[in-house]
Amino acid sequence: MTYTTDVPRAEFAEITTEGGRAPRRRAPRRKTINTVIWFVVLLAFTAIVLYPLVWLLFSTFKPSSEFGQNPGLLPENPTIDNYVKVVEGIGGTPLWQFFANSLFIAVMAVIGTLISSALAAYAFARIKFRGVGVLFAAMIGTLLLPFHVIIIPQYILFNKLELVDTYWPLILPKFLATEAFFVFLIVQFIRNIPRDMDEAARIDGAGHLRIFFSIIVPLIKPALITSAIFTFIWTWNDFLGPLLYVNSPEKYPLPIALRLYNDATSTSDYGATVAVSFLALLPILIFFIVFQRFLVEGVATQGLKG
Amino acid sequence: MFNIRKRRMAAAAAALTASAALVLTGCAAGGGADEAAATYDPDEKVTLNLAFWGNDVRAALYEEAIAAFNEEYPNITVNSSFLGFPEYWEKRQTEAAGGGLPDVMQFDYSYLRQYSENGLLLDLEPYLGNIIDTEPLSENILQIGVVGGETTGIPTSTNAWGMYTNPKLLEQVGVEEFAGGDWQDYDAWMKEVTDAAAAAGVELWGGTDYTGRIQNFEVQQRAKGEDLFTDEGEPNFTEEDLAEFWEQGDTIRTDGTVIGQQRLEEVYPLSGFDTGLTASELTWDNFGAGYLGNLGADYTELGLIEPPVTEEGAKDLYLKPSMLHSIASTTEHPEAAATLVNFLVNSPASGEAFGTNRGLPASETALEGAELDPLSQQIADYEASIEDRLGDAPPVPIVGYGTLEEKFRLIGQELGYGTLTVDDAVDQFFSEMDVVLNQ
Amino acid sequence: MSTETESIVTAEAGSRSMRRGMRELRRAEGGGTPPVSAGRRAHGRRETIAGYGFLVPWLIGFLGLTVGPMIYSLYLAFTKYNLFTEPEWVGFDNFVRMFTDDPNYLQSVQITLVYVLVGTPIKLAAALGIALLLNYRNKGSGFFRSSFYAPSLIGASVSVAIVWRAMFSTGGPVDGSLNLFGIQLGGWVGNVALVLPMMILLAVWQFGAPMVIFLAGLKQVPAELYEAAEVDGAGPVRKFWSVTIPMLSPVIFFNLLLETINAFQVFASAFIISNGSGGPAGMTNFYTVYLYKRGFADLQMGYASAMAWVLVVVVAIIAFILFKTQKSWVHYAGENR
Repeated sequence: MTYTTDVPRAEFAEITTEGGRAPRRRAPRRKTINTVIWFVVLLAFTAIVLYPLVWLLFSTFKPSSEFGQNPGLLPENPTIDNYVKVVEGIGGTPLWQFFANSLFIAVMAVIGTLISSALAAYAFARIKFRGVGVLFAAMIGTLLLPFHVIIIPQYILFNKLELVDTYWPLILPKFLATEAFFVFLIVQFIRNIPRDMDEAARIDGAGHLRIFFSIIVPLIKPALITSAIFTFIWTWNDFLGPLLYVNSPEKYPLPIALRLYNDATSTSDYGATVAVSFLALLPILIFFIVFQRFLVEGVATQGLKG
Repeated sequence: MFNIRKRRMAAAAAALTASAALVLTGCAAGGGADEAAATYDPDEKVTLNLAFWGNDVRAALYEEAIAAFNEEYPNITVNSSFLGFPEYWEKRQTEAAGGGLPDVMQFDYSYLRQYSENGLLLDLEPYLGNIIDTEPLSENILQIGVVGGETTGIPTSTNAWGMYTNPKLLEQVGVEEFAGGDWQDYDAWMKEVTDAAAAAGVELWGGTDYTGRIQNFEVQQRAKGEDLFTDEGEPNFTEEDLAEFWEQGDTIRTDGTVIGQQRLEEVYPLSGFDTGLTASELTWDNFGAGYLGNLGADYTELGLIEPPVTEEGAKDLYLKPSMLHSIASTTEHPEAAATLVNFLVNSPASGEAFGTNRGLPASETALEGAELDPLSQQIADYEASIEDRLGDAPPVPIVGYGTLEEKFRLIGQELGYGTLTVDDAVDQFFSEMDVVLNQ
Repeated sequence: MSTETESIVTAEAGSRSMRRGMRELRRAEGGGTPPVSAGRRAHGRRETIAGYGFLVPWLIGFLGLTVGPMIYSLYLAFTKYNLFTEPEWVGFDNFVRMFTDDPNYLQSVQITLVYVLVGTPIKLAAALGIALLLNYRNKGSGFFRSSFYAPSLIGASVSVAIVWRAMFSTGGPVDGSLNLFGIQLGGWVGNVALVLPMMILLAVWQFGAPMVIFLAGLKQVPAELYEAAEVDGAGPVRKFWSVTIPMLSPVIFFNLLLETINAFQVFASAFIISNGSGGPAGMTNFYTVYLYKRGFADLQMGYASAMAWVLVVVVAIIAFILFKTQKSWVHYAGENR
């Protein structure tokens, strides 16, 4: 099962991915020029896209009074006070605690989402059974309703179950595939896999579970990695869920902690706010950098090695 | 799904238990402070949830106050949590509908009627004069927290409407402090500042369009002897009153006397005054510390003077609670909760911890404990100086007052942009009020 | 050769390689005996059991956490409900008020439509364009991928509001750059006409999610298809239209549908940038922002629910149309037989 390992994998790809055969050299000059243009164009886009983030980084060294006054990149009176202040924590809870809370919730969410969404997606995409059409439509339907109007009924439910001020209301729904986004995403990828493979396996007597684990899961790796990345980042940034369900400050995840420096009725400490939010960015940035690599390798090089 | 009846029954049961406890200990009629300690077992281990809005600075002060509280009451564990103002209320609204309000809450005046009328807050009457010491609180102040005959909130602190000015900026452009007078005088003074600033090449305006704030409308209506709403919660002003008020701002909006809406929007959520773009602002007097903080280290003092006069000798101003403490009717430990409220409102230790962070302490004993910085002293002096203009507080704000206040602000914004005429604005406001009143 | 027939041909090429793979797999496992068919009905029942078996977690979540609240909100749409007292049935009053007596609602609909119709295509085009560029060469791609995704990492925190306001303020970088070209617009933040474009640019800036999904889709395209096309003598452009686009079409469909839905529900960024006010002059008062204000600030939950269900119906119609058009342009390799 090596159909993808050795071949150049992308359309114009003269450069092979991994230890493939030597690239065909049709027009090396033009190739170099193309690469240079490609590089310059991307670099220009990158600069535009990254500028606001660089601005954010520099602004973490601005004192609060410069916010709203100084739209420039460089602080007029650079200071590290913002960081000194935020590492102390808030209201007796150390900063690392908020990070640990966020990390725990995000990791659990990733595990839950991957398992439950992939299972559901397989059923929708590959199993023909009564009611599948209606259920699929219902699943898409849950995407359409603005979540604000179901907040209160859901809160009442979790309150009755006495799960408020625990992480269950944040994690349990992930294990139950309530985010239709991911189910649908994986459905789209599964539907794009030729059926011959599972049919052949079926003739060999493989059941759905076997087909799911040994054929489908390896082939939808890009979709799973994508789902993992998004779940992690979106959970990390989620504000409303923790706001409603977590009461104790020592259980707050980062997005709530970040807001605690801002209170409209007293002074807002913008310096501390940007400093915390910059620190909060780092873990997900690292997470993304690590996992995007798997995304690239994807099917092309990881395929099904026989 | 929303079993309100059940919740009410639970509330009633809690109230019954509470009163039964009081009857058993023979203290229902209320007595001196000495007997208070006998109303419940002082050694019983109790845990209370306390919620407040604020930032990290206020959280540290609460921590300090709770530590002092625990020295006196080691058996009562207080779990506190805090959020910013809008998040705080979003969470409370959800809990109000779904159950689970914290035992003791920092409360906002504009929500008091809503929560009280729906039986979500404990009537504190049985604890007044015993667990909750009423000596240091004036009758005026206690009356503020009364809704429909029940005392559901105790004010921690008070504030009054006033006008902040920025002496440093005024000196820079060479204009004297506003010497007082009526609204036309104020308009003229603002124009003087704006013109002087333009001549000096400084980006500065005399002030902000005051017709964008409902409080200025209220002050003008009260000068005629009328609150915005009656005791029954009916509107007490006409479309003509409102149109007249908004038209007052026509000139200053169009001739560039006040800061433009576009510039204001750029610095929002800060105000023009926060950012040193305007020399004066009409607002609640407890905003001073926030202004100084946002203006930065270059500014060390502010002017605080009374708002322009609409009608000589009218009692158009009043003291408003900047915040209150309330107890959820569902609390399992009403006595312990009342003990905590008493401590947070009255004790010198809490006065010492908070200073004027929550506004000027309403309780004399807390005020004595508080150390006043120059600004706080200025505010205390200001509230004393306007005594002649202080009248009775208006009835507790109607349910949905917050919506109307925000609507008023947004309409003021649109008037500033010129995207709305005064007539349309009046229509919109009245139709909004219709919806709010029939909620 | 039309694109359509080509895509079928290329799909066939894909299946061929898959079949080859399957044969190898079978050989590796030593072969197995085909199951004895126990009749169609038994097969159908087994499939049904398997189907619901795989769906168990989703079904529990759907029935336990989603359906109840959804139906309840539908009921609330026909009531007056302030969160504190029992809902009171008012029939279609909420809907009537929306369309006849609420100028803010109509404005909100208008700006939301502009946001969706202008913002979504630009965002998707940017995401697809960059994804293709990133897919073209592998050198340094990790850096570029991370850079382009980075803006999406901050989501809708307070920092976004601070950064974006600064970028578009008077004398800020955007204003400054435009001045270089002789365009004097001043600050965008307080300009009623430019706030909406500013919000659209924010959405476009955060195009990381659809970009990553496009990338994942591109990686799923089997390389043999390109080889097969090359054997047929196809150049880069032909390969793009006859291999890349058809093979990517399920993912394009996904992104189109989801980004449209998301744009209709835009909330956090507008809420945070306007500090919850929807200003200036209602220009960031998008549909869900307004809905939220009505429900939680004004405590008109009945009205908010009615608004939500109008949105559901509109988006459902759009989604339905999109699903119907699928046949003509979305190509599923697993369903083309």
